[in-house]
Amino acid sequence: MNKTIEFDFFGDGMRIFLDYISRQFKKNPDYLPHPLIRAFECAIQAMDKAKPGGRSMGVSQDGTEKNVCNPYIVVLEKKDNGVEVKEVRNIKVDKTVPVDVMLIIFRLQIILDHIEGDTVTPQQMVESLNAVIPGNRFYALGDRWKEARDEFKKQLESGKIHNISNDQELIKGLTSITYDTPWEEYPNNVRALIGSSIAQVGNLPSGTVIITSPKDSKIEKFKVFDSATEFLLGKSSEYLNIRRDKTKEDG
Amino acid sequence: MNAVEVAKINQIYTEYFEIIDSYFGSIKHYLTGSEDSHIDLGSKMARYPLVSDLIIDAIDEIDSTIDNFWQKNTRTIVDFIRSRSSLRCVYSGDITPMILEDFVKKSALYIDSIILPDPVFNLTLFQKQVILDKKYYLQKLIRHVFNIWKLKDLILAKPSEKIIFILPINLHLVNTDDRQKLISTADRKFTEYVSKIFDENFKNGEECLEILGKETTSQSIFEKIKKQDLLPQIFRSQESLHQFLLDFSNTGKFAKFKDNESVGWDFAVYLQSQFIRVQEHRYFCDILKAEPIYDYELPWFFFNYEIGGFDMDAAIANALQKEKFNWINRVPLSAIEVLRSENKLDYMRSVLRHGITDLKAKNDTDLIVVGQQIEKNLQDAFKRQEGEIISLQKQVSVIVKKDIPIVGAGFLAGFIPGISPIISLLFAGRDIKNALEQKNVLNKQIDSKQKDVISLLIKSYEQDD
Repeated sequence: MNKTIEFDFFGDGMRIFLDYISRQFKKNPDYLPHPLIRAFECAIQAMDKAKPGGRSMGVSQDGTEKNVCNPYIVVLEKKDNGVEVKEVRNIKVDKTVPVDVMLIIFRLQIILDHIEGDTVTPQQMVESLNAVIPGNRFYALGDRWKEARDEFKKQLESGKIHNISNDQELIKGLTSITYDTPWEEYPNNVRALIGSSIAQVGNLPSGTVIITSPKDSKIEKFKVFDSATEFLLGKSSEYLNIRRDKTKEDG
Repeated sequence: MNAVEVAKINQIYTEYFEIIDSYFGSIKHYLTGSEDSHIDLGSKMARYPLVSDLIIDAIDEIDSTIDNFWQKNTRTIVDFIRSRSSLRCVYSGDITPMILEDFVKKSALYIDSIILPDPVFNLTLFQKQVILDKKYYLQKLIRHVFNIWKLKDLILAKPSEKIIFILPINLHLVNTDDRQKLISTADRKFTEYVSKIFDENFKNGEECLEILGKETTSQSIFEKIKKQDLLPQIFRSQESLHQFLLDFSNTGKFAKFKDNESVGWDFAVYLQSQFIRVQEHRYFCDILKAEPIYDYELPWFFFNYEIGGFDMDAAIANALQKEKFNWINRVPLSAIEVLRSENKLDYMRSVLRHGITDLKAKNDTDLIVVGQQIEKNLQDAFKRQEGEIISLQKQVSVIVKKDIPIVGAGFLAGFIPGISPIISLLFAGRDIKNALEQKNVLNKQIDSKQKDVISLLIKSYEQDD
């Protein structure tokens, strides 16, 4: 008699991803998986000593002491027949990580692994994010910063830019640049403000996230993960509504 | 067969399965005894886009892993196969047969070794590049990985001749000069064929594609065909041609090569692909000193058209793939291993070959006569087998009936006055022992007859009625 098959595709996906991680370890013993996986590992190790009903927690993060990125906690509970995941939480955005975001983070890990080194260019960052987050929402400004600058100037002169007079930091930044200042020397907040003007001339769909870092800059991979989590779960997600596109089945 | 060499080949295939397991081992629990439990697994997974996207990314490197594996091991396996004086066939149909297990059951009744193009190699290194829909790719890959898993025991078995070999077989592996020759021969043959069926004089394949590409309906194609007798059966009616082209076009939607939307172009591309396939297949059959084998009508038709009929062995191997022998699929796969371990393949082959000659096979382009003869041969063998079992059972029943009188007579004899009770008892005891031994031997013979492949075939055949 054929046994009835019960499908657990999320579990399957997770296990296939963990097999991927194992293969990377085989190739490179120094391989460092995403903090979420590391937190899982810690929690599972701690689980060894727990009795049924007992809980364990794993914590892991990336970044530096001053700039903590991707801090995750994973809480597990020991059951008679295995382990139950009670919580997977990103402490920075202080939200439980839903299944769809977890899957996106894992895919991002694989895609970033294909890029050699610990950093990526803005273009690589955008391509990686677009590959895993539905909707092609990310755009690297690159060489088009001059178009953005000119458009910003036009809008400012025609009085279409509001609400910046209260931001003293921004005003200071804006006054520190001239028409000839190279993009690399713009303060970050000014680049973000001016860079977004490209949406007006570039026919970019509304809700596009513009990455304004200079095209040759090196962005640490952990910052790419941090940005992804911010866009998917953080404050920005409330405006971007990126997860709206996710398919019901995976939710 | 040299045990050291076999161990070496098995070690290579063990490594092959380790690679497959390292990528897909996590979903192996879906492998069940049911022959087609895995067929829809990939498409079920594809309904979960984020999960299937993760899986597609996580297994992405399997192409380079499997490529490296074959670069290291192909030569050893090819040399081993070529060194054997066995009857073997190279499969050419789809990537692998829909249900590989059934194909193997039918083939392994007649041929020593089946050489299968590695589906994982072909899918991950070549098809992935042209398949537009990644989920469709995953679905196919999972199906074929499960197909291969189901054959693992047979692939790693140690019979007198290895039953299955997997090899990287693909036109792209042919050296540039030979490949160019194969493609240009295929182009010439394709042009000749299209010229014949349309009664036109096309210059080359490109012109065939261009002119046929102008046809926008299957009806207009059908009406322009002048020599229907040169077409495979499925193209000889407008309805079935229409359905075929519709299906072909739907499959083509997943591929990048589709740059013309017309039905005529689809028709021409399909024919062209078949002529290339024939050349490719011939090439690999020559290299491996093997016969071609197909599991469905269309590619077989074109090979047959090109070669002009099979010899006896290829005809029998191919005829067994026909639908009328689907009842063989019910024979358990393990029976094939037993057939080999008991060296019964020669007997099976002699059963199937009875009354079939090279000449008869060559003239039987549709394999109808060969198919009928095989059916008759199998039925004769079934009758013989059933007859033998009945005769053995009769002998046992006679002994069983004798058991009690012998035992009784023996003991009674011991008390017959005037006859030494000791001698009588010994004599009677020996009789009983002999009879019991004979009965056990006969029972074992019945048991082995009932468990051998012919009996399993009989059971499968009877279930079909």
